[in-house]
Amino acid sequence: MDRTSVKIVVAGGFGTGKTTLVASVSEIPPLTTEEILTEASLGVDDTTGVESKTTTTVALDFGRITISPDVVLYLFGTPGQDRFWFMWDELAQGAVGAIVLVDTRRLDSSFPAVDYFERRGIPFVTAVNRFFGECDYTEDEIRGALELDPKVPLVWCDARDKESSKLALITLVRQAMARLKVKA
Amino acid sequence: MSFETWDGDDESAAGRFVPLYVLVNGRTAPRDSTLDLATQVVALSVDTRRLEPEYLEIVRQCAGWISVAEIGAYLKLPLAIAKVMVDVLVEQGYLAVGTPAQQRIFDKSLLDQVIAGLERL
Repeated sequence: MDRTSVKIVVAGGFGTGKTTLVASVSEIPPLTTEEILTEASLGVDDTTGVESKTTTTVALDFGRITISPDVVLYLFGTPGQDRFWFMWDELAQGAVGAIVLVDTRRLDSSFPAVDYFERRGIPFVTAVNRFFGECDYTEDEIRGALELDPKVPLVWCDARDKESSKLALITLVRQAMARLKVKA
Repeated sequence: MSFETWDGDDESAAGRFVPLYVLVNGRTAPRDSTLDLATQVVALSVDTRRLEPEYLEIVRQCAGWISVAEIGAYLKLPLAIAKVMVDVLVEQGYLAVGTPAQQRIFDKSLLDQVIAGLERL
């Protein structure tokens, strides 16, 4: 009796369509799970000497795709705020790789995600979300702005469209396989 | 009863008056470090009568294979708490654990299966 889980991370800046992409392919409506963080307060003018702490809730959206009776794929969207890097570490650990969604109106908002996966050697593909209308940039311009390695695939997508999201996911898994062959 | 030998059982059978951190005995991380959000667990057919209501709720969610993240989402438990509680249940023989997502995937056949599964969608 066994069940293997496989993870794919869906990353990108705030409002790039991460949950939309997860929803388009997930067999369940995306679920939200929360992590509660305790942060030391940034206030420095506290004269009582009593440390004050605040709690922050980080929400993670995720979806599920049953691959076979023994294998289930989970798609985890990264928290919107870039400062929760430690959550990214947990999500990326053991993941096949990541899809980095790019909003052409704010190319720079996806740069931290590209940088994160590149530094850690985690396979990823960039998916330029066309949801926001016609793209004013060419592929080369986007690659340049994100300083993408030529080996990193770039796909055009509409995160609302199931076929388009499937293509981005399949491109990622193929990219992970190609890496496997190089290492072997 | 010392805290070291605490077994998930105490006298308060009333509702959620116990803070979550007490429920997990102050533990902040699961002992089995491979337990992650996507790891699947399933209930084993054992006597659950001694379980605290909060733990029993988790076991009930696990009638079929389910991930730690789904348990957290359905029961509205913070992930760190869900993970520790699942770990306690695994340790005490109430739940079985599936193969976690691997640190590095070297298994080509697994990736082949994933591609085939995605194509079928």
